[in-house]
Amino acid sequence: MGSTRVRTTGLLLAWAGIAAILLVHWMVAFWVPTEAAQGVVQRIFYVHVPAAWTTFLAFGIVALASAAYLWLEDERADAAAVAAAEGGLIYGAIMLISGPLWGRIAWGTYWTWEPRLTLTLLLWFTYLGYFLIRGSVADPRRGKRFAAVVAIVGSLNIPLIHVSVSWFRSLHPGPVVIKPEGPTLHPDMLTTLLVSLAGFTLLFLGLFALRYSIELVGRRQARVEDAALAGGVS
Amino acid sequence: MMRELRWSWLIARKDLSLEFRAGGRLLSMIAFVVLAGFLFGFALDKSQVPGRAVVASLTWLTVLFASTAGAGRIFDMEEEDGAFRHVLLTPVSRRAVFIGKTVANLTLTWLITALSFVALTSFLGVRTWGSLAAHAAIFLPGTIGLSATATFFGRMSRHSNLGDSLLPVLTFPLLAPVMFFGATASARVFMALPWDEISGLARLLWAFAIGSVAVGAVLFHHVTDE
Amino acid sequence: MTLEGRRIVCDYGPVRALAGIDLHAAGGEIVAIVGPNGAGKTTLLRVLSGERRPDRGEVTLNGSRVSGSDAAWRARIGLVSHRTGLYEKLTAMENLRFFAALHGLARSGRKLTATLDAVGARGLAGRRIEALSRGQRQRVALARSLLHDPEFLFLDEPFSGLDPEGAAGLERALVARRNDGVAVVLVTHDLRRGLRLADRVVVLRRGRKVLDGEAAEDEAAEILDHFTAGAPDP
Repeated sequence: MGSTRVRTTGLLLAWAGIAAILLVHWMVAFWVPTEAAQGVVQRIFYVHVPAAWTTFLAFGIVALASAAYLWLEDERADAAAVAAAEGGLIYGAIMLISGPLWGRIAWGTYWTWEPRLTLTLLLWFTYLGYFLIRGSVADPRRGKRFAAVVAIVGSLNIPLIHVSVSWFRSLHPGPVVIKPEGPTLHPDMLTTLLVSLAGFTLLFLGLFALRYSIELVGRRQARVEDAALAGGVS
Repeated sequence: MMRELRWSWLIARKDLSLEFRAGGRLLSMIAFVVLAGFLFGFALDKSQVPGRAVVASLTWLTVLFASTAGAGRIFDMEEEDGAFRHVLLTPVSRRAVFIGKTVANLTLTWLITALSFVALTSFLGVRTWGSLAAHAAIFLPGTIGLSATATFFGRMSRHSNLGDSLLPVLTFPLLAPVMFFGATASARVFMALPWDEISGLARLLWAFAIGSVAVGAVLFHHVTDE
Repeated sequence: MTLEGRRIVCDYGPVRALAGIDLHAAGGEIVAIVGPNGAGKTTLLRVLSGERRPDRGEVTLNGSRVSGSDAAWRARIGLVSHRTGLYEKLTAMENLRFFAALHGLARSGRKLTATLDAVGARGLAGRRIEALSRGQRQRVALARSLLHDPEFLFLDEPFSGLDPEGAAGLERALVARRNDGVAVVLVTHDLRRGLRLADRVVVLRRGRKVLDGEAAEDEAAEILDHFTAGAPDP
């Protein structure tokens, strides 16, 4: 697929995502019923849960694309990995900020060792390292390879992190956890959550495609400029 | 296989003899560990927090900090005058280089661990240690995982212009499980709990140790070769 | 036995270090790669030795592809660079013994001493590298590169920092190896030395080959023109 078509697709997806997210904000503010036990604060979950989902979707793409890059050394795989990693870092930040905001009111504390929250924080730092190593190595090819290695090792470690954070929580029983997405979820709440999930995912995929096409164009541009210099830069 | 082991042994032996001949560095590491133990003991209000409650966690943290600093150094010695390039130009396999470096790092980490253990228990006034064999059975897999991870990313951070400040960002998220399993298990040993209540954690530490050595050996050529 | 690089292109990110170089080096000849700073000489050497994989093009030996990840290839090459690559805290003998062992050679002390003697490093065996002068270190480095009787010898600015006596000794050693049938590839910015020593001189400028031919004094002026021709480097 050419980069123009990727960009067009990305734009369509992103606009659809933005429309869905605007709709969700209207639904959250005016339409969905207030959850009885937690009150208004529960509405954060319509942002938090989709952000968490897209974060893991993004990091999944990064890990797969990185493995493909190490295997094939195809620039497109690296472009996909870096595009997804940026998205993951942003959505991860939304998840990590919205979670504690909710926790402050629901649990009375900003930080809890909730397994998924802890796992996301550690992964978020791993992907911060992904960008740091990538940008700080003099030879860009080496930087890409190192970043890919960081992404792969980071994802291999997920099961162990998961075991440790779950275990950790069982040692330190925190405040009572109220599961907002339990089976008793009100149908309207479920609808809102699903619309939000769709909106976040579409926006992510749109931004991912846009970022990917920009990355490809940028790399091609560098080549063209270089050739125009009539042979290398000293 | 024998060839690989021989290569690893050559590299580990060479690294250790370099480390011991550059005595100042070893001495500064020892000083770091003892001072860290002293400061932890000094900064903690032991009337509020009993030393026994925190000694395991603080020992693991000291080992973590000291060994990640050491990992970078083991490659500094290689880069002194570009020697590592020549090592890589011999037929030596990258796996063997990784294992050899990890072994050298591990040896130093054991030294650090033993020192931290003695320093922290002394400065925090911990008198009952629990079983020393059980402590060793926890620290052994824990330090293997730690050294392998630090060696792998130590090599990577040598190429970064962020240098040593990058190493913790890369390794600490990965080592979080080791810190948790290790500190929890060691705390239980200090409390003299039966091995049944510790063995699960030891198995997880072994899982990390074996996993990190295997992954490091497989991927190391990506961080050495251009 | 001819090492052949074809259409080698090498990029460091947006910077094109080599822009399609063809080059060959046969056993029993000294090829000097000369050029101003930033011409791509060192990169070309790294590509030929297999340390760096070119972005395009290939290096072959008698038709089969050469790669630095191939241990059998690495066993056949020796390298001397302007950085000596020796461990300062080890003695000359310990350094040689370590590298010989990595090559899988069980060299006796006497054999290693003979290697040192051959490059004019008599009596240095027991001394630590940190106690040696620049010229002495470079001789030990040369001895290290010859330990395993390589068929290809790569030298990257080996003369830098050498006194006239040391340089003359190094030149003699290179000529002796050439006469033994070794292919010697020498990178230097010192054109006169390159001309005197080499059977063939390749002149690089901004990642391109501007001259490749039999070296003779009368060509020096022409080659020098190439160095000074055109606009100054950006």
